[in-house]
Amino acid sequence: MNRFRLSERGAERLSISVLLAPAVAVIVLLFLGGLASGFLRSLNYFPLIGLNDFNFDAYFAIFTDNGFLQSLVLTFHIAFTSTLIASILAVASALLLRPAFRGKRIVHFFFSLNLTIPHLVGAIGVLYLFQNSGLVSRIMTGLDIIQRPADFPAMVFDPWAIGIIIQYVWKEIPFIGVIVLAILLSVGEDYESVARSLGANRWQAFRQVTLPLIMPGVVSASVIVFAFTFGAFEIPYLLGRTFPAALPVLAYQSYTDVDLAARPQAMAMAMVIAFISTLLIMAYMKLSRVYIRE
Amino acid sequence: MTQVTLSGLTKIFDQKSPPAVDNLDLEIESGKLTALLGPSGCGKTTTMKMIAGLLRPTAGDILFDGDSILSIKPEERGAVMVFQNYLLFPYMNIADNIGFGLKMRKVNKKEIRSRVQDMLDLVQLPGFEDRKPNQLSGGQQQRIALARALIVQPNVLLLDEPLSNLDAHLRDEMRVLIRRIQTEMGITTVFVTHDQEEAVVLADKVALLFDGRLQQFDAPDSFYDTPNTVDIATFFGGTNFIPGYYLDGTITTDIGVFDAPNSLVPEGDAVLSIRPEAVDLGEGGENSVSGTVLSHVYAGRYARFQIRIGDIEIEAVTEPGQVKLFADGDNIPVKFDPDKIWVLGPNTAEQPAATTG
Amino acid sequence: MTTAPAPLPGIAPRTIGRTTLRWAGIMGLLAFLVAPMVPLFIWSISFRWFYPDILPSEYSARAWEQVISPTNNVIGATGQTTLIALLCTVLSVLLGVPAGRALGLHNFKGKRIVEVLILAPIIVPGLAVVLGIDTMFIRYGLSGNILGVTLVHLVPTLPYMTLVMSGVYANYDVDYELQARSLGAGRWATQRYVTLPAVFPGVVVGALFTFLISWSQYVLTLLIGDGQVETLPILLFNFARSEPAIAGALSVVFILPGILVLLLSSKYLSGDSAAVGGIGNI
Repeated sequence: MNRFRLSERGAERLSISVLLAPAVAVIVLLFLGGLASGFLRSLNYFPLIGLNDFNFDAYFAIFTDNGFLQSLVLTFHIAFTSTLIASILAVASALLLRPAFRGKRIVHFFFSLNLTIPHLVGAIGVLYLFQNSGLVSRIMTGLDIIQRPADFPAMVFDPWAIGIIIQYVWKEIPFIGVIVLAILLSVGEDYESVARSLGANRWQAFRQVTLPLIMPGVVSASVIVFAFTFGAFEIPYLLGRTFPAALPVLAYQSYTDVDLAARPQAMAMAMVIAFISTLLIMAYMKLSRVYIRE
Repeated sequence: MTQVTLSGLTKIFDQKSPPAVDNLDLEIESGKLTALLGPSGCGKTTTMKMIAGLLRPTAGDILFDGDSILSIKPEERGAVMVFQNYLLFPYMNIADNIGFGLKMRKVNKKEIRSRVQDMLDLVQLPGFEDRKPNQLSGGQQQRIALARALIVQPNVLLLDEPLSNLDAHLRDEMRVLIRRIQTEMGITTVFVTHDQEEAVVLADKVALLFDGRLQQFDAPDSFYDTPNTVDIATFFGGTNFIPGYYLDGTITTDIGVFDAPNSLVPEGDAVLSIRPEAVDLGEGGENSVSGTVLSHVYAGRYARFQIRIGDIEIEAVTEPGQVKLFADGDNIPVKFDPDKIWVLGPNTAEQPAATTG
Repeated sequence: MTTAPAPLPGIAPRTIGRTTLRWAGIMGLLAFLVAPMVPLFIWSISFRWFYPDILPSEYSARAWEQVISPTNNVIGATGQTTLIALLCTVLSVLLGVPAGRALGLHNFKGKRIVEVLILAPIIVPGLAVVLGIDTMFIRYGLSGNILGVTLVHLVPTLPYMTLVMSGVYANYDVDYELQARSLGAGRWATQRYVTLPAVFPGVVVGALFTFLISWSQYVLTLLIGDGQVETLPILLFNFARSEPAIAGALSVVFILPGILVLLLSSKYLSGDSAAVGGIGNI
């Protein structure tokens, strides 16, 4: 045997590297490179224009800025409220759609339809439904509930971000729902039947048996939804107020500000968003290990 | 017709665990049906994959007709493996599955079609060309997998547990088919099994492996009549073991002294082994002792007796037809035919007083 | 119905009540899910639709004419969006299928790290990354052109494709390849005749959704395109506040590929497949 021949283990390692290297290289370069470049900029390091020193001025500036803190709170409010409402309604929808009924296929199709409808379209639809002169307002006028557009409660560009939340709930119910429905269908109803025959009522059977079964799916889908709603740009950009704006919008505004000094602050905000998402990924990995690997 | 030689063949998957195959030497005769037998995890499938070229040995060599084939790629070795779960390609119909090997060899379509027909006839499934694998029963899939391997006229045919996924009656059918095809085509065939009965019924020669090591390589009946060790005899089931001391053609045990011309040990501590069906009940004379019937069960045409002789118990099985011979509690003479006694070395530290497996 | 024997008291009426309730729930759910699309469709065919009219007083194809007319560059933008999405899909398939194979079939040291690296771009919001990427791209001349936009779209699409393929390969019995090799197929023939047909449905579904993810990107295109690359979502956003009729018509164009993809792939799509996991990015 040729002593230069690779050992089997070595050959396998080599082939794994060849398969992985291109994709990993692209992700490292673009994703990690983008993050690193943003991080350096957030530290005021930009040799191209002669900034060669690191400092935390940008972070200091944003964390002492009332506007930024309000944005942070608003963004948490949007992400948390949307995720919570969407998860609850998604579980309810999945339970509703689980049993066999006539037209199930077509109902399921419509249920999953807006998985593929871009957020932007949903946001414009919500805008045309809920702005002061929107379709809902017109219907309410027609029903003599209100007289003028101004009577319609502010649901877009409003301080509570109601329109934004409606849009996220609209879009994410099917996303979480399809995942939960798949679990429900694969688990079947036998466990619940056992619980019922052992004396559990409907609610107890759901609470003690069904919910623990679907929880891993709900949690992992919710983490993805939370991260998305926390960092998405176009929906609050279209449906939200300019002040306080959601964090991604604020970062974008600072980045495109004519005052170039605001750029490191934009980068610092991007880093805050990335940092919070990283925490979420770690939570996700941990949860997926705890729940799914079992 | 190819003779396969394994020489010091070793496979280590993981440095921390013992070798899956450990320094295996084996001469697989040309044109014969050889069984690799052993409990699960003994390294038999690993050995087969190395012969097929699907796993690389850690050390040792594999020779076909005296030439090392380690550097030859699996697709060029002519050693075709049939997997335990058949692995018919699900998106191809039966004809395309069987013809796959010929297509890879760039045989023209017309010839492929006619040879696929021949193969379907051979495995007794004519007219199945256009079906999909999932429309076939397990036994049918197994036969198609066999046809797919045979069509390329392999030098060596490797069958991984060919009967284990089949029902009892399909098993007999398949056994007959494999034997027939193998005899007709004369292909050197190796098959892996964990079932000693299957190995004995089907194979010309059996290689028994424990923990990746070769225990015995022999004709099938030798494993019953002249096993190398107590472990081997136990694996083949149903033998009485009585410890003793062997000297000059006799073995001295706690229950008596017996003539025993056939022995593995020249002299010293040894174990007398005799199969239950070789024990003669009710016969006195030479090589006989007196025992008490403890219990018995009828099993159709024969009966199985538990006999106490001194401090030990043995098992005896009567010849067919002789069922109601003795009642429980009877004192009877028990004879061990000298030619049927096999004396082994005491290969385990703690000798069983008397074991029936 | 009246001639049928009376149902057992206490059982049948309750069942009917439940069914009715369920259908009310399902209808309410579907109505909510379809509702935002309704004003978009109406706007796209409206001519005069003044407050407080619930429906337009006059209908016309004006918005659709605007969509087709060259002045608004809708056709150009559609072409550009398609081109970018196609390029991005091809690159994602070429890089993501091999990487998915490595992750789905092999265990190796550092696999966990690679998995985190692949998952991270799916969860970390695009905006957090794209500001930094923009700084890099400006330096290398990748800002404001199709190539740069295609590359930045790889940030969400490549990890998605890799994850889908890793799931597909994890469900693939690699013994099929050994069987093919044993029957005389070489490395390439094995991939071509055995592995490819087995994973092909997964590749197609993954590619379709990869296309959609790129097709729907807004903020990545906005920043890297720098006003020079005009895709459908950029146009749509510009019209959203000023020209509801055109925005409505554009929305219809914009959602068509997604509906097509869903029709094509619904039989492969279930919630436990990896294909769904990444749809949060559309």
